[in-house]
Amino acid sequence: MKSHLALAAAIALAAGGHAAAHHSFAAEFDATKAIRVTGTLVKVEWTNPHTYFYVDVKDDKGEVVRWACESGAPGALSRRGFKRSLLKLGDTLIVDGYRAKNGANLMDARRVTLPDGQVMVGASAGDGGPQ
Amino acid sequence: MIGRVTRTTLAAVACAALGAVLLAQERPMQLDDTKVPKGRPAPRMANGKPDFSGYWKGTTQTRPGGNIGKDLPGWKLPLTPAGEAALKHNLTATVDPEAVCIIGGTPRHNASGLPFEVLQGANKIVFMYWYSYFRLVPFTAGLKHSDDPDPSFFGEEIGRWEGDTLVIDSIGFKDEKVWIDENANPHSDALHVVERWTRPDYNHIHVDTLIEDPKFYTRSFTYARTWALGEPDEQIQEYSCSENNVDAAHLGFGPGPIRADGTRGYDNPAPLPPPVPKK
Repeated sequence: MKSHLALAAAIALAAGGHAAAHHSFAAEFDATKAIRVTGTLVKVEWTNPHTYFYVDVKDDKGEVVRWACESGAPGALSRRGFKRSLLKLGDTLIVDGYRAKNGANLMDARRVTLPDGQVMVGASAGDGGPQ
Repeated sequence: MIGRVTRTTLAAVACAALGAVLLAQERPMQLDDTKVPKGRPAPRMANGKPDFSGYWKGTTQTRPGGNIGKDLPGWKLPLTPAGEAALKHNLTATVDPEAVCIIGGTPRHNASGLPFEVLQGANKIVFMYWYSYFRLVPFTAGLKHSDDPDPSFFGEEIGRWEGDTLVIDSIGFKDEKVWIDENANPHSDALHVVERWTRPDYNHIHVDTLIEDPKFYTRSFTYARTWALGEPDEQIQEYSCSENNVDAAHLGFGPGPIRADGTRGYDNPAPLPPPVPKK
């Protein structure tokens, strides 16, 4: 419960309720399509204006589908304790967020659960997305 | 003695732990202004003018954020028919210019939720923004606008002092790839902006803005805002906007839905899946 409260507080802190991000959450993602993706981390781009990490997920037919997970800028993630070094290729990640409006295999990674159970906030600070 | 050493050691350990926690926290991008101390006099330059230098953060009292119509009833902007058409164009045929690394410009940066930093000299003032943009405003006495300024995102900016108020008068704006605020409202190349900056006390900076644009707005309107001072060790940091702009290919036109409270975003988002149970 404590970690969940901390997560909620961190999301609220990051989002802040005031449009502030590089672009609006609502311009790219569909807030009615909350999804969970569980997959193997295969690539990390610790870059501006957003970090991206990519996970390979087996679909219902057993085929591997690659999902791109968009998160905040490196500086913002780092300052909240979400460090590049926490993402290790080959790890299984559980990523909760919202799917891109255009139907691509791209999601806004608002909550990332690492193999050891640590929960990281991936939301872009102040993008107006769900808190 | 042993007890004192132990207490000192414990205190040091506690401070170190607290420091580690603080370092791991993301500092808020906005401050609750009711908790910001007031009344300490503003610092002054050697010439006696107020010094606006500092790292400035928006406050949670600024509502709706990102909306240049914040101070108008119902946030209703006085658009002309041409302005209505320009808004429709922005909503249905343009992506957010800032999202593709184009300068937000004036007055959009003053409606942004992102902090900004000011450095002030004797004859110039620099506003530095996240995304690695800056505007440099001269306020040497006697400056006048040019007859035919090159269009730009911040416009041709002329500063002057009126007592303790720094007045920045700007004309010569671009009319393409510009949104006047986060909600995709428009402006034309006829935009004229007059900002009146003050530092009411040490911890606050304030702007009163007059916005005129006879092509897109039937009358002038105003936008006022106050920011609060960040911590001394906070500053603008590196941000290379076009390094890896994967999202640009996935952005829809316009800002997406606008909430009932005048901000961009969804009113009733679906909840995320429940958190993963602890092992």
